[in-house]
Amino acid sequence: MPHLLEVLIEIELPTGDLVAVHRRRFSGGVGPHVVLVAGIRGDTPEGTRVLHAVGRHLESVADRLTGTIDLYPCLNPLAAHQGARNWPGLDVDLNRRFPGRADGHAPDRVAARFMADVAGVDQVIELRGAHPAFRLAPHARVGKDQLLAVERATTANVRALWTSAAPAGAGSLEEAIPSLIGLLGGVGNRLTDGVGLELADGLLNLMAVMGVIPEEDLPFHWAAVQRPVVVGDEQVADIRSMRGGLFIPAVAVWAEVDAGDVVGEVIEPISGEVREALVAPAAGRVLALREEPVIYPGNLVCRLVLG
Amino acid sequence: MTDTPFFELESPYRGWYRLHRLSFGSGDPVTTLVAGIHGNEVNGTYALNLLAGMLRLQTPNGTVHLLPCVNLFGAEESRKRWPFDDRDLNEVFPGDAQGSPVERVAEAVMRASVGQLCIELQTGSALVHEVPHVRSPMDLALGEAAGLPLLWRRPAEQLDEGLLGAWRAAGRTALVVRGGRGGSLDVGDARTMARGLVRLLAHAGHLRDPEPAPPTIVSTTMLDYRCEVGGFFVPEVRPGETVVVGQLLGTLRSPIGGEGVESVTATAAGVVLAVRVYPVVHGRELVVRVAQSTT
Repeated sequence: MPHLLEVLIEIELPTGDLVAVHRRRFSGGVGPHVVLVAGIRGDTPEGTRVLHAVGRHLESVADRLTGTIDLYPCLNPLAAHQGARNWPGLDVDLNRRFPGRADGHAPDRVAARFMADVAGVDQVIELRGAHPAFRLAPHARVGKDQLLAVERATTANVRALWTSAAPAGAGSLEEAIPSLIGLLGGVGNRLTDGVGLELADGLLNLMAVMGVIPEEDLPFHWAAVQRPVVVGDEQVADIRSMRGGLFIPAVAVWAEVDAGDVVGEVIEPISGEVREALVAPAAGRVLALREEPVIYPGNLVCRLVLG
Repeated sequence: MTDTPFFELESPYRGWYRLHRLSFGSGDPVTTLVAGIHGNEVNGTYALNLLAGMLRLQTPNGTVHLLPCVNLFGAEESRKRWPFDDRDLNEVFPGDAQGSPVERVAEAVMRASVGQLCIELQTGSALVHEVPHVRSPMDLALGEAAGLPLLWRRPAEQLDEGLLGAWRAAGRTALVVRGGRGGSLDVGDARTMARGLVRLLAHAGHLRDPEPAPPTIVSTTMLDYRCEVGGFFVPEVRPGETVVVGQLLGTLRSPIGGEGVESVTATAAGVVLAVRVYPVVHGRELVVRVAQSTT
C-alpha cells in the first residue's frame, strides 16, 4: 500500500499564504505505531534528511510492514525556509511551546496539533540534530526512568546513550512526552557525512526490533549495528572555557581522551597568544565539540562521556 | 554616587563586558532597581538614568542601587537577547557563576541586587506598546504607591520566572515597572515610569516629599483580544485609553488591497494596557489587551 501524504495543519500567514505541516504515514498491519519527527527547529536539516532516507526504505518494503510509521519531516517549515532556529516573525522557539495551545498563535497550534496526533502511539522519536555551534557524535538521549525507551534506544545504532534525569528544557517535546527518544548528531544547519546514514540505519533497526518492519528487509545485517555506551548524567562531563577568545580544538568528535589530555586551546584573537589550555578531567570520549571558535568565559567547548 | 563595575566578562575582539552598578547614599534601607535585561528595552534604561539624575541632586536616605543596562551588548544592536549566543538573559536566573556567559551575568545581577525591595524595569515587546504600569503579586499592596496609570496584580505563580521569580525565591519584595515599546524610546512613558519610581522610593523610606500619586486603576483580570486570522491590524485605541463595551478596538485588513477582514470590539469595559503597533499580525496573535478595573 502506498504511503499517505497528509496535511497535519495549515497555517495562514498575514499575507494570505498558507504554510502546511505534513505527515507521511506508512501503514501495513496492526503492529506498533511509531512516530518520527524532525525539524522542530529550523536549523536542524539533518533530521529531515534522515526521515527521507527512512521513508525511501519504507516505500520499498511498504507491502511487508507490520505496523504504522508516521514521519513528520519538518514541524517548523517557516523557520526551515530561513535556516533559522525560531519561528520567524514571532521569534518563538517551537521546542519551548509543547504541549501547545489549540487556541494560541501558530507555533502553539502546531505543537497542540502534533500532540493530539501522536496521543497513544507506542513510541515517539525526535530527530534533534545539533546546535549550529557544535559538532555532535551520533547519540540518543532518553529520560532515565523510561526503561522501555532506554532499551529501545540501545538498538538505534548510536555511539552513546545518555539517560538523563531532566528534560532539555521547559516546554520541550522531551518534557511533554517523557518516553521520547531524542536522536542527536552532526552539525546544526548542515548535513554531516556519515551521521545521517548512521541515524537512518539506527531508526530502521529500532523499528525492526519493535516489530514494525521485517528484520529480513533491513538494508544491512543486524550484526553491523553499533551498541552504544550508556551513560547517566554523572558520566557526562562538560568542559567550559575560563577565558574569552578563539577556541582551537585539539581533538575530534568521538576521539578517545585520557585524563589530562588537552582538548583545545583558547587563543587571543589578535596576537594569537595562548590564554588557556583546556584538559579532560578524566578518560572518555568526545561527545560534543565546539565548532564556532569565538567564545566567552563559561562557554561549553567540549562534552565528554566518561569511562 | 559610586559607579562600580560589579562584574566583568572577557569579550573576544572588543573591550570587556562590564556590569555597572550605580550606588547612591549609604546604610539601610537598601533598594535595587534593574533595567535592560533585554537589550532592546531602553525605556527602562532611560527611566533609571532620569532617576539617577534626581538622586545626584537629592541624596537618598539609605542606599539605592541602579543597574541601568544589564544587556549592554544587546542594547548596542537593539536586540532583546544576548547577541553572542542569542540567549535570553531572563530565562537563566538565578544564573550560575561557573556556567555559560549569560548564566554568569545573571548570577552577577543576583549578587548585585541587594536590599529587601527589588524593582525590575521592562518594556513591551518591539511589536506592542504598553501603558506604564506595575506588575506585582496579588498580596503586594506596594504597587499602588507607584501611582502609575495601572497596577496589574497577578497570582504569584505567574511571577515565578525570570529575574522577578529569582528575587521572590530569594525572599525579596519584588515587582516590575513596565511601559512603552521594545526597540524605541518612548520619552513620555519613560518619564512617567521614572516618576513612579520616585514615589516607590519615597514609599520605601528613601526620599521625602514625593509628589502626590494620581489614582491608579488596579486590575487582576486581563482581556486579550486576538484576530482569528492574519492580516494588517489597524488599531483604533491607544494604551491607557478607557474603553466601553462594544467599542471598536481595531480593524484587521487585507495587507494587499486593504479590504476589511475582521473588526475587534471590546466585550467589556476597561483600560487599554497594550496595543499592537507593528501591524502585520499572524492569526491568534494578541492585538489589544484590556485591563478590567477591580477598584
